[in-house]
Amino acid sequence: MMILLAILLAADRPVIDLSGGRIQAYPLALARPLGAQETAAVQSVLQADFDRSGIFKLLDPASFLAPASEGLTQIDYSKWMAIGAQGLVKMSCEAAAEVKCDLRLYDVPRAQELLHGSYSAPRAGVRQIAHRFGDDVVKFFTQEPGVFQTRMAYVRESESGKQIVVADSDGFGPQALTGASINLLPSWAPDGKTIAFTSFRDGAGAHLYTVDVTSKQVRPLVTTGDFATGASYAPDGLRFLFSSSLEDNTDVYLSQNDGSGRRRLTDSRGIDISGAWSPDAKRIAFISDRAGTPQIYTMAADGSDVRRLTFQGNYNQEPTWSPKGDLIAFSGRDEHRIFDLYTVNVESGKVTRLTQNQGTNEKPSWSPNGRYIVFSSTRGGKRQLWMTAFDGSNQRQITSEHVGASDPAWGPLPAK
Amino acid sequence: MSEAAPKSVLALRERTPLPPALVLAIFFHLVIFAAAFYLPRLLDRPPPMRKPIIAKLVALGKPRDKSLLPRKESPPPAAAAAPVAAPGGKAAPSTAHVPTRRELMERALAHAAGRAASEEKPDEERAGQKTGSPQGTAESSEAGDVYFTAVHDAILENYVVPSVISERERLYLSATVLAYIGGDGRILRHDLQKKSGNPFFDQALETAIRRAKLPPPPPELARSLRDNGVVLNFKP
Repeated sequence: MMILLAILLAADRPVIDLSGGRIQAYPLALARPLGAQETAAVQSVLQADFDRSGIFKLLDPASFLAPASEGLTQIDYSKWMAIGAQGLVKMSCEAAAEVKCDLRLYDVPRAQELLHGSYSAPRAGVRQIAHRFGDDVVKFFTQEPGVFQTRMAYVRESESGKQIVVADSDGFGPQALTGASINLLPSWAPDGKTIAFTSFRDGAGAHLYTVDVTSKQVRPLVTTGDFATGASYAPDGLRFLFSSSLEDNTDVYLSQNDGSGRRRLTDSRGIDISGAWSPDAKRIAFISDRAGTPQIYTMAADGSDVRRLTFQGNYNQEPTWSPKGDLIAFSGRDEHRIFDLYTVNVESGKVTRLTQNQGTNEKPSWSPNGRYIVFSSTRGGKRQLWMTAFDGSNQRQITSEHVGASDPAWGPLPAK
Repeated sequence: MSEAAPKSVLALRERTPLPPALVLAIFFHLVIFAAAFYLPRLLDRPPPMRKPIIAKLVALGKPRDKSLLPRKESPPPAAAAAPVAAPGGKAAPSTAHVPTRRELMERALAHAAGRAASEEKPDEERAGQKTGSPQGTAESSEAGDVYFTAVHDAILENYVVPSVISERERLYLSATVLAYIGGDGRILRHDLQKKSGNPFFDQALETAIRRAKLPPPPPELARSLRDNGVVLNFKP
């Protein structure tokens, strides 16, 4: 007793738990470019990348106190501290047959260099220099791969139909991969070389095809029955899920990546569609109306152990599993009959809303590092692609297609 | 024969063995003091501490049907934001309010501190209670310790986690600070007792503590907070 009393008297301290600090972007200064004029182009792309990332708050160059003549390595940190910079990026490029750039990242408060890289690319590829350095900076801070070098597939809507398009993750350089019949729901193979999609091109219903991203060659994948849609590749790329009414009901099927060996995974009386793999390929999320309204369910990869995941809302659809495995993003119809984006925690079932009061928001697709979600939104009038951080912050427009853009699919990380 | 001189009382006591009860008492006292000194160090963990309940003010709003999809959590309106008409009351007059010089300065200061009012419209469907407060922060109220709630809120107001810390790292980052609070509310000193391992996070919570403006503690807590301090457990 006395021992305990002595201990208690020694330090009777109140304990306050603090969590939920505001997440604030890291103040970063991009110093004036040095060297060849290509440096300005690199800086412009890098600036857009950092701004879109939501990780960094870029400081206004008009506030810079350091002289324009300040070199790459002789830095007056006090002048950068005075404007609130935590990080500082310096760059210099030389242009000959190809462009060579020296890019450096400094920690201003600690007055030290954090990162230093030399990058080169053909003159037409200076954007890639910015993306590569940007990804290196993100990786340095977050220990997660950056996604500036990744690409996106989506559906370009036009007066004559819908075509599958691939563009950089910032929407730059869109390239059509298919003609303009009705092509929907692109899905990347994990190696990034092919894209599966749903098409009405054969005039016999909705069927699955693949297109080679480089050669643009289209091949049939599943053309039996009158309805096969929504391909989703397993993380190993050897199998894919799709929804079909091959038998009496609409169910989720599993197939080898060449379209052979199809097997039905669901067998409820309701409609089961939109299969999506967990990142470890052990479970599959899908939509089923077996309980009356479309809700998200998960099942084991062999179709067993079905569990209902969402109980809120009466129309939830388009599940897509986070690469980190903890969240499933989906679109759900709220009480105002508007579709918005949500995530549901796979363990707790907690639903978090990402979009609200900004048009119709649908078709979420995760970035390969799990930090962002790309989706389609009508908030600006036309349906375009937007991206958001996984928590709903920092929403940015990605595409500016003439008629519209929809069905985004974020591609894998580039092969090293 | 003369008898030997009688022994002095002192001499007698020197030779008399100590009573066993006294020896035991000395022994146990030594054990108690040694335990009080060494046990906390041996256990290498803080002794039992008191955890105050942080009060939450229920937000003004409508209770939300649990079967509906959730709304986005919206922060309470900032002090500088336009006044919101009371439910059922008359709408605010439409005449444009010309901000005073003081209001402009407050807004500028709030903006500089990153606390500017959201440009989004106030959320009319914000979850809360009809009897709640416009400044409420939770869907339901929770009574708690007034002073420690004030300390909590003052530090939280300045607690900014840099976004360069990845979401994954945020799941397990934690740090502990022991802060000593003076009678006027100033933080006299603080010790980072347990670092998080991420310098950006440690820097963020040091900044939060340095910038926090705490109210003076009530007299009954003043001495304890000055001498023993308060433990602040930070998580992102």
